[in-house]
This record gives sequence, C-alpha cells and structure tokens, in this order.
Amino acid sequence: MSWTFPKLVPRSAPLILVILTLAAALAFAGVSHLVSRFTANQQALGRKLYALGLADVGAARYDDAIAAFRAALTCDATNSQYQLSLSRALRDSNDPRRLDEAESYLLALWQRAPQDAAVNLALARVKARRGSIEDATLYYHNAMYGVWNSDADANRNKARIELVQFLLKRGAPHKAESELMALATSLPPEPAAHLEAAQLFDQAQDYANALAQYEEVLRLDPANSSALAGAGQAAYRSGNYATAQRCLEAAVSANPQDADSRQLLATTDLILGANPFQSYISDAERNRRITTAFDQAEKRLAECAQQKGVDLKIPRTITASPLSSLQARWMAAKPDLGRLHSPGETDLPDSTMDVVFQIEKKTRDICGPPQGLDLALYLISQKREAASQ
Amino acid sequence: MSSPPRISPAAKNSPPLPEPPIARIHIPRRLFSTLEGVFNEELFFLILSVFIGIFSGLAVVCFRLAIDWTHLALLGPLPQTHSWRLFAVPSLAGLVVAALVLHLFPAIRGSGVNQTKAALYIFNGFIPFRTAVGKFICAALAIGSGQSLGPEDPSLQIGAGIASALGRQLEISREKVRLMAPVGAAAGLAAAFNAPISAVLFVIEEVIGRWSAGILGSVVLSAVSSVVIIRWFLGSEPLFRIPVTTFKNPTELLAYAVLGIVGGLASVAFAKSIGYLRPRLKALPRWTQYFQPALAGLLVGLIAFLGAPQIMGAGYDSMDQAMHGQYTWKVLAILALLKIVASTFSFVSGTPGGMFAPTLFIGAMLGGAVGDLERIFFPQLTGSTGTYVLVGMGVLFAGFLRAPMTSVFMVLEVSGNYEIIVPVIVANTFSYLVSRGLQSIPIFDLLTRQDGLILPSLEENREEAILRVEDAMLSVPTTILNAEDYVDANARRIQDSTDSTFLVRMHPSGWSTVSRDQLQRFFQEGKGELTLASVLPPQSLPSLYPDLPLDAALRYVNVYPLVPVVNRADSRHLEGVVSRDSVFTKYGSTPTVAGG
Repeated sequence: MSWTFPKLVPRSAPLILVILTLAAALAFAGVSHLVSRFTANQQALGRKLYALGLADVGAARYDDAIAAFRAALTCDATNSQYQLSLSRALRDSNDPRRLDEAESYLLALWQRAPQDAAVNLALARVKARRGSIEDATLYYHNAMYGVWNSDADANRNKARIELVQFLLKRGAPHKAESELMALATSLPPEPAAHLEAAQLFDQAQDYANALAQYEEVLRLDPANSSALAGAGQAAYRSGNYATAQRCLEAAVSANPQDADSRQLLATTDLILGANPFQSYISDAERNRRITTAFDQAEKRLAECAQQKGVDLKIPRTITASPLSSLQARWMAAKPDLGRLHSPGETDLPDSTMDVVFQIEKKTRDICGPPQGLDLALYLISQKREAASQ
Repeated sequence: MSSPPRISPAAKNSPPLPEPPIARIHIPRRLFSTLEGVFNEELFFLILSVFIGIFSGLAVVCFRLAIDWTHLALLGPLPQTHSWRLFAVPSLAGLVVAALVLHLFPAIRGSGVNQTKAALYIFNGFIPFRTAVGKFICAALAIGSGQSLGPEDPSLQIGAGIASALGRQLEISREKVRLMAPVGAAAGLAAAFNAPISAVLFVIEEVIGRWSAGILGSVVLSAVSSVVIIRWFLGSEPLFRIPVTTFKNPTELLAYAVLGIVGGLASVAFAKSIGYLRPRLKALPRWTQYFQPALAGLLVGLIAFLGAPQIMGAGYDSMDQAMHGQYTWKVLAILALLKIVASTFSFVSGTPGGMFAPTLFIGAMLGGAVGDLERIFFPQLTGSTGTYVLVGMGVLFAGFLRAPMTSVFMVLEVSGNYEIIVPVIVANTFSYLVSRGLQSIPIFDLLTRQDGLILPSLEENREEAILRVEDAMLSVPTTILNAEDYVDANARRIQDSTDSTFLVRMHPSGWSTVSRDQLQRFFQEGKGELTLASVLPPQSLPSLYPDLPLDAALRYVNVYPLVPVVNRADSRHLEGVVSRDSVFTKYGSTPTVAGG
C-alpha cells in the first residue's frame, strides 16, 4: 500500500512560506488544544493522587505517600506543592538515602523561589537532619525572613523556635540564646508563647531571661501554675532565692502535687534561713547562722571522711587526703569563732564562712552532691562566688 | 572520504524497502523565480529547517502525550507491584503492535536511526510518511505498555519522516531533499531529549556520518526550533533533577576509568546480545513474528512482576531516583543486568522503540553501582552517587552507541554541570576504547548490515588512513633551472643530469617545467641568448602543499610530469615534487579500508 499526496503547494517561495506559516499556526493551535486538555486531565488526576499522598502522610505510611506524590508529579511535573510534599515525605521517611532526593527537589524549588519561606523551612529541616548547624541556620533564617502565604508572624516564630530547639539539641546554647533574645521581642501577648520561650531560655540555661518570660506569663495569666513553678525554678537557678521562695510557695499552693517545686521550696527556705550575708538581719542572727554553718561543715567533713575511709585524727603531714587539710583549716578557724561578737572583727565572718564554703565545695567533689543544709550552704557559696566575679 | 553506500546480497532478505521517488524530484526553476536574489535555495532551505523543527517539535509533543496517555490508560498512574497487569498489558500490546507492523507499517521495526541513515544515503532522503505515522502509533503503544524501549529514536524517525514528506512536496533540489531527513531527525531527537546540542552531534555522528558545514546550519536551526516548541508546551524541566555533582580530587579519575572499562564491557555484552539474537529471530518463520513482541512484552512484564518494575518503559523516573541514591549498589547492578535482558528482547523482537533511553538507564544503574561499590573499598572517594550515575550514562552512550562526542555533550547538557567534564571524558574514552576493541562494528552499523545495507559512518572515516601529498613526495631535484637565466646557460647546467624534465623557478614567483628536448630545440632555434622565461609558455605550473590529501595531486600528475610541493609559508620554498609514478606507487602500496 502506498500513501501519496496530491501536490497542492504552489511553486513560489514566498507563497510557500506563507502557507507553511499558516499550517504551523494551525498545527500549533491544534496541539495547544490537545495539550491543554491533556494537561487538565493530568492535573485532575494529580490532585487525586496528591490527596491520596496526604492521607498516607497523615497515617505515617511514608512509602505509600512517596509513591502517590511521585505519581502526582508525573501528572503535573512542575507543581511546587507536590514537590514540596514529596520532599517532606522523603525527609520524614527516616531513610537517610532519601534525604538526597528530598534536598534535590527542595533545591530546585528554592532556585525557582528563593524567597519562599515554606521551601526554606523544609530545606532547613533537611539540613538539620543532616546535622549541619550552619546550613540549617541559614535556611531557618531564610524561612523567618521569607514570604509566608498566611499567618506570617506565627510561622516565623515557629521557625525560630524550631531553630532554637535544633541548636539546643546540637549543643549550641549560645547560638540558641541569641535566637531566643530575638524571639522574645516578637512574641504575641499570649501566655503559651511566653511560656514556651521561658522554657527554651531555661534549656539554654539563661535563667534570668527565663524568669522574665515566666513573669510575663504570670502578668498575663497570674494563676498559671506551670509559669509559677517555672518562675520559681528559674529564680532558684539564677540565685534569686527570695523570688524563688515567693513563686515556689505560690506554685505549691496552686498545685500541691508538684513535688519538684516542693523540694526546691524546702531548699530555698534553708538557703534563706542559713545565709549569713542576707540583708536586713541582725548581727546576732548573722553570728548564729555562721556558727550553725560552721558546725554543719564539721559534720559534713566527718561524714565524708567516714564515707571515704579517711581518719581525720591522723596528722595531715602523714595523710595526703584533702579532707585532712580541710579539717586542719576548720580546726584553725574554730578558736576565732568566739570573737565573732567583737565589733572590730569585720573580716571574721567572711573568713569563717570561707572555711565553710571550702569544705562544702570539696566534700561535694569528693563525696557527691550534698543534701539539706549542706546543699543550702553550697548554693550560698556559689552565689557568693558569682557575685564576687 | 566516505565509502559509497552499497547494497549487499543480504538486502534481498530484508523487509520491503521504500522505492525512491526519483521521478518526482525536479530541479526547481519557478520556485525561486518570484523573488530571485532574495530567496535563493540555500536561504529557503534554512527557513524550511525552522519549519521542520516546528512541525517535528509539535509531532514529538503529541508523541509524548500519546505515550503518557497509553501508560496511564493501560498501567495506571500508581506504580504496580505484583499485579497481573504488569505482564498482561505489554504482552497484549505486543500482539497488536506485531499485527500493525506486519500488515500496515513494515518499515517501522526497531529504532529508526539506521532507517533514517539509509534514507539519506540510498533513497534520496525518501522516508514514507506512512512510516512516520506507524512509528508514532506503534512506538507509543509499545513504550506506553511497558516495553523496555525509549521514545528518542522513534522521535528522530518521526521528525525525519515529516521533513522528508515536506521536502518532497516542495520539489526542491534532489540534494536538499536528501538532506531533509537528517534535518528532521535532529529536530525530532532534540525535542525528545530536550537537548539540542546532543541531537545535532548525534545526527552528525550517527546519521550523516561526516562533518559537513553545508548542512550544519540547517540541523542546528531545526533542532533549536523543535526544542523551543517542546519547552513551550511541556516546560523546560530537565529530564532529571540533577543532584550536587562534585569532582574534587584528580586521583578519582582512576575510579571513573574503572567505570569506563566496566561500562565498555557492558556495552559490548548489550551490543553482542542484540547482534546475535536479532538475525536469528528475524530468520524464524513469518508467523512467529506475530508473537515475538508479545513474548518480549511477557518477559519484561514478568521481570516487573517479580519485583523490578523499574525496567519497564523508558525508565527516566528510576534513573532520577538512582541519581539521588535511592538504591543500593546491588539493586543498581541487578537493574542494569535486567534492563540489558529486557531491552535486548524488546528490541530484537521487532517492537518499534528506541535504544537511547535503555542505554541511559543501563549506564545510570551501572554507574551508580560501580560508584557505590568503589566507595565501599575506597571511602575517601568524594564523588556522589549522582555523579557516578551521570557519568555512567555517558559511558554506555559512548560504548554502546559509539557516539563519543555526543556522549560527552549529552551528559553536560542534561546535567548543566561542567565540573564533571573531566570524569565524563575519561570514563567515556575508556568505554569507547574497550567497546571498539571488543566489537569492531558499532551497533547501528551492525543493524544496517544485518538488513543488507552498508552505509558510511563517522567511525569508519576516523579509522580510514588518509594519504597525503607528503606521503608520495619525492625529494627536491638536484637541478632546478632559473627562468631569468639564458637558455644556453640553462642548457649547460643540465649536461651532467640524467633527468628528462626539469623544474624552472619563475620570477617573481611560480614554477614551470621544461624538458631536455624542449631546451635543446630552443637552443637550435637560435634562442640561446634569450632568457628561459621569454621562451616558455606563459602559464604557471600548479603547486601543492604537503598536507593536502593525495587525491588533490591526481588532478595534475596526468597533465604535468612534475608538480612542485611548496611550503605554505613561502611558495618559493620547494619541499619536494610529485609525479604520476610516485602518486600511483603510493596508492598501490597502501591497502584500502573496505566498508564491508
């Protein structure tokens, strides 16, 4: 069978070109129509597959979700939403081999829209999964300053909180702290937001700012028991024992089941009752506290020596134990106690308490964390040390 | 110089070939008469190339939609695992394709590259339009149903078919009609691959088989315009999402060289499988040809059913995933092996479809497997899996299709990354050398020879020993006469010489010859007191350069007894001479490279 076509074209070059142009335009229009119909069908199918994929993601069936998103992308290869969802599913599937593909999709999207905050956030999460602090920080920042389709402020704060959590997890508390400072300035007046920031400050060991955030929560919601407990703990850890006592009392009162707060409150009470350097106490009270601390130090020393099998009666020139040295210092300071009441002995309280603090610190190192009054004395020594620095 | 196309006796057993429409081609006169001087044939042909690109691009857009639509309709949108459809669909589609090929479109079997080349060299550029239509329908059905073949070579043939039909309708010169097919082929391939440079190079390397400045402009124009069309309709998304590719340490070239060697061996295995099985299946009784594509489809389907659906169709999605490290090296190696088996059977069964995509697939999987395996033994290697996958694609392209330049540019064009050019060149060179060493005839040449046709190829040209003038050049004669000297002085100079003809240096430049008898006669005629220049004929002797092909000397050695060979920088500086004897002696002592 042979297919032949009649020769319809004229033999004039310009006319041929005109006819070819018309034919090309006609063919172009025909193919356009065909492609648009095909594309519409494909897009409809893509939407169905995408919905299927989202359902799979919701049920944590990541393999099925990935297959569905891939199929959706074959129907609509340039759809950014499908690519973003596929890359998220690849990333969340907990298969490290899939991170490359996820990153590749995201980088392609990023090149198309570098300002897109969602893409930057997804890329930041991929980088965070890889453990790259610098890259992750870069993309988190891009996400914070990028364009969000809705609820920009809340999303920015969420991105920053996520970055802080990542930095804390990766052991970079100072970087996390600087992010938190920025976060604190942009929080909405909502107790939950400030509470979360306070807890993050806590994790970053910035107790002063944590306390400020807890106080902001309490300003907005005075009965917030989490904030009361948190504020008490933050104040306790920052050495602000008076505030800690106030907040912890309120926390225990609001939630009597809160054993942590109760325990901290007990320690705080001890600290406030044992601190000879506290303002607004009489000389007699200060001397009583010094004497009590001095006696407690001796007990602690004896207990520790017994625990470690050190005989404190053997002269320190024979034994090399540091406990014996401490015992010698304590013995040397003891005769001076009687002079505490003398008005000219202004340095005596300090030097006596210095012996106490040395004993508490050293026994902590040798025999483990102290309890009760020893713990209180140790914390007082820490606060004194911090204040002198 | 290309060998002339020949038809061997084996052609008697090949499928019916289209008759060249010699009678329909005329030297156009009226076509360019209207606006003579504006529309000469060269300009018209260039403009026509743009239209060829547009029409081919539109056809390829439809072809791609047809494949996608067939795939969705027959196999569904989601990847199937352990479904009966996987083997039922390609088998049943194979039956339909076989019936169409045997009854309606007999010239559409296989890839289409060699048919296009045959059209250029044997059939004056004639490709029946029916072939283009049949290729469109059957290849879309075959590839869409999952046969392990690709859409690029059919696109090439569809483009060539459209161009050929257009050329015949317009009644341009026979030479231009002949060139229409490769111009259309470039457009079709460029649209299918979304890569104009690779398409142009491939058409030059594999279809035209020689570098020809005359057609390059048209091929480029058609390729570019078809790519514009495909990007307009289907977007400019690349075939693959290229991951970060790196090449940091030059010592890693050794790893890529190993990949090249492995790829070369795989190419040879792939090519030899096809070369061995294809003539044997063709030689089976005709009734078996109804079932061959179906059986190939069944095999492909069974492989997919048993757990490797990636080998179905062109497999670009799987290549993309391999590039992003989704498979272990063992899976990659198994996929490469299974693809060789599946594509071999799909192709030798006569199912219309291309070898480009399977070649890239095998190369990608092999590259990934070799790269991952190398990194197990040498963890210091920094190349990512994606880098090895990309390089692997080029390796198989260079080794199997034996198109080394296209292979390099294809990888660069697909990846858009010039950082990996050195690994690509190194690996491709090794692959090409291994493949050429173990399989002397490139796959497309092998296929055309199996069909009884012997066509020229660029590789054949590369291998051909070119004789140059310097190879036949004799040393500078001891006696050279001066045209400004008197005749009797020159006569005295030749007394001691035994030569019969002498070179004469003319002034201010040029050369001439004079024989002993001529000089004797001038002397006897009483012209001894005249200068030689005044008595010699005025025309100057042609001269040659040492680097010219020896063929150039043939024009002169029969007319002049001695032809001077001069320096290109100084035409008065004589390098030597050639004579008829020296030229013919050289041709006689050099074995010619036969095409078959």
